[in-house]
This record gives sequence, C-alpha cells and structure tokens, in this order.
Amino acid sequence: MSARAGIAPVALHRTLAPEEAGRASLYALLARLIHAAPDDALLHRIAQSAALDPPGDAALARAWEELVAASSVMDADAAGEEHDALFATLGKAAVSRYAGYYTGASAVDHPRVRIRADLAALGLAPRSDATEPEDHFGGLLEAMRVLVAGGAGRAPATIAEQRRFFEAHVDPAASRFFAALASAQASNYYRKVAALGAAFVALESQSFSMD
Amino acid sequence: MKDTQSNHRRNFLLAAGLGGAGAVAAVATGRKATQARDKQASAKEAAAEGYRVTDHVRKYYKTTEV
Repeated sequence: MSARAGIAPVALHRTLAPEEAGRASLYALLARLIHAAPDDALLHRIAQSAALDPPGDAALARAWEELVAASSVMDADAAGEEHDALFATLGKAAVSRYAGYYTGASAVDHPRVRIRADLAALGLAPRSDATEPEDHFGGLLEAMRVLVAGGAGRAPATIAEQRRFFEAHVDPAASRFFAALASAQASNYYRKVAALGAAFVALESQSFSMD
Repeated sequence: MKDTQSNHRRNFLLAAGLGGAGAVAAVATGRKATQARDKQASAKEAAAEGYRVTDHVRKYYKTTEV
C-alpha cells in the first residue's frame, strides 16, 4: 500500500491508543501469516509473546495462548509445508484466500472492483508490484492495519471509514474463510491462526456496531 | 458528539484484552520476511531437479482458482 501524495502527514507522530495498537498488531500478524508461512524468527517472537490482558475475551485469549504455544514447537520448514499444502496446492488450493470465493462473487460484479475503488477513495493503492487480486485476505487485513494505524505518511482512518471497509469487504467472508482454514485436512498450526482470526474478527464486528 | 459511544467501543476493546495486544507489535513483520522466504524457497526449488511449484508456477495456479 502507498499513501496518495498530498495527504498531510500531520498525525504522523500521534501515538495510537493501546487498544488501537493492539488491533493494528493483530491485523498485521494475521495478514503476514496468511501471505506466507512464518520463518523461524517470527515463530520465535510469537513463542516469546505474553498472554493478553486478563480477563479479556475468552475465545481471543485462548486462541492467542494456543498460537503462542504452537509457535514454540513449530519450525519454519514444517510451517512452510503446511502453508503450501493449504494455499498453494496444484490446481485449486485446499483453502481459498480470496474473499470473493466465500461470498459467491460473480465474474461480472466481483468484489475486487469495489475493493479497488474503496481503497482508492481511502487514499490507498495496491503496491505497483502487487501480484495478488484485491480480495486476497492477506491484502484485506493489511489494508485494515493501515486504516487502523496509518502509515506511509498517512494518518489512521476514522472509525467510520474503518467500519465501512470492514463491513463491506472483510466481515462478509472472514468467518467462512477462517472456518475453512480451521477445518482443512492439512491444517495444524494454521488451525490456531484460524481460531485467532475468527475470534478477532468477531470482536471487531461487535465493536464497530457500538460506534 | 458520540463520545459516549466511542468510549463504549474503547472499553469493550480494552476489556477484550486488546490493550495488551500491543505487545504483539514486535511480532508482526512486514513483507520483507515474506519475500525473503519466497526467495529462499525459489532458490532451493531451482537447485533441485525436475518439476517444482515455484512462485511463478504458483502464480499461474492461482489464476485457475474458481
């Protein structure tokens, strides 16, 4: 993602509230793990991470705890094989990472077109070297991270803007995507990732409806 | 103003434990790691003989996804 020129970098040094930083972090982590398998350094860092603030949301806390535990016994090679088995098998992938797959998108009225337009309206454009279609979940969650935290010279988006993008493009497909990921035969480490994603998106969905 | 609503949302997120999730910040990495792994994998795959699912091939397969 790159910021459109002309957006004033006024809020560059604003520090995020802790809960907003937490949201941005989870979006970043999920996007990263969907894009590619974790390397040893990332597995190590997850394994070293603390538990979430107690008491917290039970599903989120448990999912995080289990991902931390799984990361301590996982190695990059195994994670890479699992990632390939889930997302990059021959022909049709075992688990599709494309939101349009879960919302039954038709070729004519595909969400990619609307996502591209909405991203542009928010001042975000896909990287020029991007090879993934816009409804790739890695990209959608990465877009949410930028909307929450700002970055590349842009300030965070308003909660209303975040909500619009989330409800239009992330929420309709996310729970089905994470359910598919959790139940795929090859899913082991990624079962924990899916649980974390599902718990987090459910919280996001609930919190936006309060705003 | 909708300050009350915003506070409601904020309190909800904090109660959910997301305030501490900032500690996860150090964990999340950008695409550099992704690219590094992909490059590594391609190099490994290129060195081996015979058919391999390289990034290039993978990209092609993605175009066949329904």
